[in-house]
Amino acid sequence: MRYLVRRLGHAFFLLAGASVLAFLFTALAPGTYFDEMRLNPQIAPETVAALRVQYGVDKPLPLRYASWLNSVLHGDMGFSFAYNGPVAPLLVVRARNTLLLTITSTLFAWAIALPLGVWSAERLGRLSDRLLSWGTAVLLVIPDLALALGLLIVALRSGSFPTGGMASVDFETLSPANKLRDLALHMILPVTALVLSTLPLLVRHVRASVADVLDAPFLLAALGHGIPKRTLLYRYALPAAANPLISLFGFSIGVLLSGSLLIEVVMSWPGLGPLLLEAILARDLYVVIGGMLFSTFFLVGGNLFADMLLYWADPRIRAESNAR
Amino acid sequence: MKVEATATGKNVHPLLKVENLVKRYTKRSLAGTPEELLALDSVSFTISPGTTLAVVGESGSGKSTLANCLACLESPTSGNIWFEGKDIVKLEERACRQVRRQIQLIFQDPASSLNPRWSAFEVLVEPLILQRKFNREEIKKRVNYWLGRVGLSQDIVGRSPMELSGGQRQRLAIARALTLEPKLLILDEALSALDCSVQAQIANLLMELQGSLGMTYLFITHDLAMAAHFADEIAVMDRGRIVEQGPPNKIFIQPEQETTRRLLAAVPRIGRGDQSALER
Amino acid sequence: MRVRRVLTRWLVTLGVLHGIVGFAGFFAPYDPVEQDRKSPYLPPMRFHLIDGQGHFHARPFVYALKLREGSFDRYVENTTEPQPVRFFMKGARYRLLGFLPCRRHLFGLENTRIYLLGTDAYGRDQLSRLLFGGQVSLLAGLLGAGITLSIGLCIGAVAGSFGGWRDSLLMRLAELFMALPWLYVLFAIRAFLPLAVSPLRAFFLIITVIGIVGWARPARLVRGVVLSAKERDFVRAARGFGATHGYLFRRHILPETSSVLLTQAAILIPQYVLAEMTLSFLGLGVPEPVPSWGNLLSSLQQYSVLVSYWWIYLPALAMVPFFLGYLGLASSLQERGAAYKIESRIWGI
Repeated sequence: MRYLVRRLGHAFFLLAGASVLAFLFTALAPGTYFDEMRLNPQIAPETVAALRVQYGVDKPLPLRYASWLNSVLHGDMGFSFAYNGPVAPLLVVRARNTLLLTITSTLFAWAIALPLGVWSAERLGRLSDRLLSWGTAVLLVIPDLALALGLLIVALRSGSFPTGGMASVDFETLSPANKLRDLALHMILPVTALVLSTLPLLVRHVRASVADVLDAPFLLAALGHGIPKRTLLYRYALPAAANPLISLFGFSIGVLLSGSLLIEVVMSWPGLGPLLLEAILARDLYVVIGGMLFSTFFLVGGNLFADMLLYWADPRIRAESNAR
Repeated sequence: MKVEATATGKNVHPLLKVENLVKRYTKRSLAGTPEELLALDSVSFTISPGTTLAVVGESGSGKSTLANCLACLESPTSGNIWFEGKDIVKLEERACRQVRRQIQLIFQDPASSLNPRWSAFEVLVEPLILQRKFNREEIKKRVNYWLGRVGLSQDIVGRSPMELSGGQRQRLAIARALTLEPKLLILDEALSALDCSVQAQIANLLMELQGSLGMTYLFITHDLAMAAHFADEIAVMDRGRIVEQGPPNKIFIQPEQETTRRLLAAVPRIGRGDQSALER
Repeated sequence: MRVRRVLTRWLVTLGVLHGIVGFAGFFAPYDPVEQDRKSPYLPPMRFHLIDGQGHFHARPFVYALKLREGSFDRYVENTTEPQPVRFFMKGARYRLLGFLPCRRHLFGLENTRIYLLGTDAYGRDQLSRLLFGGQVSLLAGLLGAGITLSIGLCIGAVAGSFGGWRDSLLMRLAELFMALPWLYVLFAIRAFLPLAVSPLRAFFLIITVIGIVGWARPARLVRGVVLSAKERDFVRAARGFGATHGYLFRRHILPETSSVLLTQAAILIPQYVLAEMTLSFLGLGVPEPVPSWGNLLSSLQQYSVLVSYWWIYLPALAMVPFFLGYLGLASSLQERGAAYKIESRIWGI
């Protein structure tokens, strides 16, 4: 239990630190930022004046942080100039789409990487293993950008997949089952791109971790007891390798989050990626900072989830934390 | 360098006098109570010039901490160390560096005390370069002299320490320490990592050097037999304290403490086991 | 040793690849910003040895392209006039390595222009843009990695050497930076900075941004090395000879960090090239007309271009041999580090 509390505290610390960074970003700009706003003909001068007061530009830094944090925790993440409205609702919708993509890709990637890695570790050094290593190396050296664009070319040429957006034009008129099918069809391309870009990394690490464990004497003993190979691999070896793999899981969430940014733009998936890009090009600072905060929140959350998985999976950690 | 060693050396001024040396380690963690480790518990002894004092004890008895404190690499929590009449505990960094020259440390593992990325020559001249008092001619002269003195040939200077044998490495370490012409040499388990035959060779070298140069040794070991072979006086350490002290004969024939007897019993004996002489 | 030979092979391969890009002026037939408005979106020309009449030419040649009847963007080869390829011919001026004025190019055509990788919307030779763009992208990766490793070395050294509260503070900071998804942070910092700057300023701006974001992991690794090196006996021995802290760090501890730094460099450089490509592709990096592998691809954001003009996609794959080389370098460096450790264990160090 203490372990979980400690990890929770750690997560809070990280989020607090990220919030300070985010605040510093907003705070360092306002001087010039509000000037730029004033020059923008689309924004009324009253709005600028009101915003200046609201964000308390003249107060000392810690006070501003406190009031900023207060607003954020109440759901007010600033004002978007491009969309002429509050930032938070914009982000929430897009974040939901990004999460959908990221979580699906994570599940698929691990679902493929685990068996592949175990299979490869079992046949370490043999031809099949070497072929797989070559395959992952090839995938590893192709940049995500090239992968995404390449998949897009294939899809456009064949015309069988929808190649953009999240929903077809007639989405609202479909039945629930068809809505799901439509969503899934639209997800195929971006998910494939994301999975392919992270797969080689995962497979390599799973293979390495499981190969390490396969050397252990306790497995030899279990084999001697007549336990069948499949059980051996999945119920003895894999749990023993769980520790580094769960850490890798946390790390892979970060990789996937950043990767999804690019893939969403390329594939026109309406997630945080295209929103942030527009925001940067429109100098819409609060959207960008908000996006950074959201993504950090997901990453820290994902890592916390991984920590909890670790607690559940590794009896040594349970014992150590309960012994105190 | 005068040869002024006597077996007991009681009439001569001691080179080193340690008085009530205490060293306490506190481990502070972010949560929970700080842990305290008492490595040295009021240790006192003296060493006369030209003699060898052997400090014998099991691992964890505080021997290495003692070596570090004496060589001015660590500061003791309290107590005094008188070297040639001056208290070296209170010295600040600059003066400490001067004193460090005079007291040299030879480590147990010669492989780790010589930087494997350097050549033997670079290893050897490092102390001379650090002293900044010698020009190239002087350095070369000293290097050649000491190499010969410890029984190493000239052609090893180009090689990396990794390429040398254990005995050669330890000779190199000794030569390196001697280039500074120290007064006191602390040998921290210096022979323990070597093969038996090599141990004998190095031990003889050390004794020969002591004889001709009048070196004073503080010999730290867990091997009582080696200590007996080597030392004029033996001090037995246990858990940070000196429990027994005396010349080798006395320790072997009339051990007083349990610790000493345990160490004696660990000494392998060739031939008939004459138990009665050991038991008391 | 076998590992050393493999390492050398990868270094040589990378050296050749970088050399080709470094001497882009020579290998590229034309200036990368030179436009040919009459030839937009030309497909790549092919080498031929046998002409339409069945004659064999010893010197390879290409056909100029002309518009197909009734089409505005489909081309066919003009088989009436074979254009022999000339090698080492004089062409546009360029500066070798940035300062030596030169005019020789590896190949070219006498009468018309050769487009081995086609052209883009402005009729610019894609091959030349690819080679010169490589200079920009690779340099961004190298310099960015240099910045990151410098920062990481400083911070890791301070944390490891001093320990105490400095160490705790710096490592907590490192954890914080590692908890942020890097591309989002990159975006955030980029959002700050002015959008429309000159290509040179943009270049240095993004190098700095990319370099700053990634300092945490190298810093932690350096700290680990410094911590363990501090405890080594030869460091204690040197202190016994009267060494100052500065000497110890310079002569004993710093060399130990070299293997970690090299391995990190081999891992970071391709990542940073990719980061530059991503930024430039999205229009946030190096702006037109300066080519970079990223902005060469930005026209692909329009599906029409993506489908019709497949050769514009090729720069995306330009990175692949470099990635492969750096991957091989990194794994052989890691193997060398591991082998060194095993060797040390054998020798008892």
